[in-house]
Amino acid sequence: MDTIEKLKILADAAKYDVSCSSSGSKRTNQPGGVGNSAAMGICHSWSDDGRCISLLKILQSNNCVYNCSYCVNRVSNDIPRATLSPEEICDLTMNFYRRNYIEGLFLSTAVFTLPDHTMEMLLRTVKKLREEHRFNGYIHLKTIPGADTRLIEEAGRYADRMSVNIELPSQQGLKLLAPQKKKEAIIKPMSFLNSHITAAQEERKKSRKAPLFVPAGQTTQLIVGATPDPDLQILRLSESIYHKFHLKRVYYSAYIPVARHPNLPDLVKPPLLREHRIYQADWLLRFYGFHAGELLDEQNPNFAEDYDPKTDWALRNLHYFPVEINRADYEKLLRVPGIGVKSARRILVARRAAWLGFDDLKRIGVVMKRAQYFITCRGKYNGSAAMEEHLLRPRLSLNKSPSAVKKGQYEQPTLFSSWLEPVSGETPLSLITGEL
Amino acid sequence: MLCYTYDGSFDGLLTTIYEIYYRRQQPQEIVPAGSFNRQLFVRREHIACDEDKAARVYDAIDSKISSGALGNAYCAYLSEHPRAGMWIYEYLRLGWKLGPGVDLRLADERVHRVHKLAGKVKTEQHRLLGLVRFQLYQGDIYYAALEPDHNVLELLAPHFASRLSDQNWIIHDLRRDLAVVFNRKEWVSTGFTLKQKLELEQDEQYYQRLWRQYYDSIAISTRKNPRLQKQCMPERYWKHLVEKNGRG
Repeated sequence: MDTIEKLKILADAAKYDVSCSSSGSKRTNQPGGVGNSAAMGICHSWSDDGRCISLLKILQSNNCVYNCSYCVNRVSNDIPRATLSPEEICDLTMNFYRRNYIEGLFLSTAVFTLPDHTMEMLLRTVKKLREEHRFNGYIHLKTIPGADTRLIEEAGRYADRMSVNIELPSQQGLKLLAPQKKKEAIIKPMSFLNSHITAAQEERKKSRKAPLFVPAGQTTQLIVGATPDPDLQILRLSESIYHKFHLKRVYYSAYIPVARHPNLPDLVKPPLLREHRIYQADWLLRFYGFHAGELLDEQNPNFAEDYDPKTDWALRNLHYFPVEINRADYEKLLRVPGIGVKSARRILVARRAAWLGFDDLKRIGVVMKRAQYFITCRGKYNGSAAMEEHLLRPRLSLNKSPSAVKKGQYEQPTLFSSWLEPVSGETPLSLITGEL
Repeated sequence: MLCYTYDGSFDGLLTTIYEIYYRRQQPQEIVPAGSFNRQLFVRREHIACDEDKAARVYDAIDSKISSGALGNAYCAYLSEHPRAGMWIYEYLRLGWKLGPGVDLRLADERVHRVHKLAGKVKTEQHRLLGLVRFQLYQGDIYYAALEPDHNVLELLAPHFASRLSDQNWIIHDLRRDLAVVFNRKEWVSTGFTLKQKLELEQDEQYYQRLWRQYYDSIAISTRKNPRLQKQCMPERYWKHLVEKNGRG
């Protein structure tokens, strides 16, 4: 099999891993070496599904011993199998990198024998890339659950970012769809990495020459919609792992039906909107100071379709508003729908120089369509409706279908609205001429 | 009405600002000589570039306003917006009045529009850091062609100089006939046109084919989203992308 065929099979097998970012590391280029990492991350292309391509995302092998029913690479699936040698991967990475196609390598693999053996092969590949090819670009490496911690520790010295995928957000789901995997086997490397990353960061504070260990932190991925777990449970899980293991990101992947199985839901389309809502909520957890318990509760365990999570929260907590733009602190500003991290910071900066009015906010980048109902500028409220939930709900709804508009307070009359009966044949002449 | 013209360089623009200050004559327009349109009632005065005068304005921005303001003014200049010259002048004048605090006045029109122009340039620069595609030509030269909206070449060069420091590379702006050229030691910005067709290195086609294969395989067909794709990677850049070029 030639490389192009292998690349086809192994890129295809890797595409369901959604992690793509190349940020968080600022590895510098060494004399005689190739590449560096930009801390902000750089996207190099966008594929037809609109997702960015930043790294050469590839499996080293798609021969798997596991039989997880949600996964394309499960052992019982009849698909072509391939394995790339470390040298082939290095060659691809270096040549793509030199042409500026990619920011680095994302190396994952199916578990083709024992976890230790698999991890060892990944390690050999990245070691070769760093030491023989003197590659200083970005490397994202998968951690194989169940692999020896010594191997993981060594890999961490070569990789910029490592990740273990949780995939299924509950123990029941794991039992149902991936009976060979255990929750402990996933959590263990995560906590191991966390303690080493924290220790390495401490060392770096003392000396700039201390060795790097996974400088861009670790991430994980959860599948949305393969199990009946509600949004609340997914969000609580994310919140707790952010808290416990200081993960950089939790990625969410709408379940794409790759197999039919009695234990899997029968979906026609992947639940993309649901995935989007969970991502929005994830940002609220990480950058906006929200807690999972504020956004959802036992009565409403799933996000609304018509409102983004922040607007939904605001509508349920109108007592918190209006917020005075010229006085409120950063945390308060962040909770206003239509104000993001960037515009909240800009408000803090701009109001040091002058009082801010509604026009100024627009210029600063606040989305007034949403924010107008929740703010005052110098004590003035400028919303086009009073601050009451039943008035605001239809105005802020994202679903603008005709039935949703009808629920609003008024309707735009058209020339031939239903209440304007056309003049019929029997109409008295007086109605037309106006004479009585 | 008075219109100052300059030679189109950043130093030329700074010299003009110097002259305005000492002549005490407020212009309505400051444009590069090449894009000046003769109009009735418009008096034109051309300012010749003077490096000493430009250097004095340069230092005055850096010391009396801030290095951030200098960066904003330079990036706004690179945007090549027809009104950029006048806007930069008004921004700097306010800057000399307010000091480093000028960049806090986000709501002031004069500050806002320069920030916006600079932001556009920085956005394009960041985008192109990813979208530059080198092709390996015989003679061990990596060559990339671009047609950027703004004159961002000089903002791209430092990035590639530190990243691909063991390659000879050229990034060519076809629209402006400019290029940044790197010889494994330092980069220079220069006027540039390709006189003859270069020959591709033997392996080049092979790696392009691999990249196209990878690009096609990594997309999830059930999630197709051309609108998002075009929003992130506007179609005007596709012409010089290996994975998109000539493939629709």
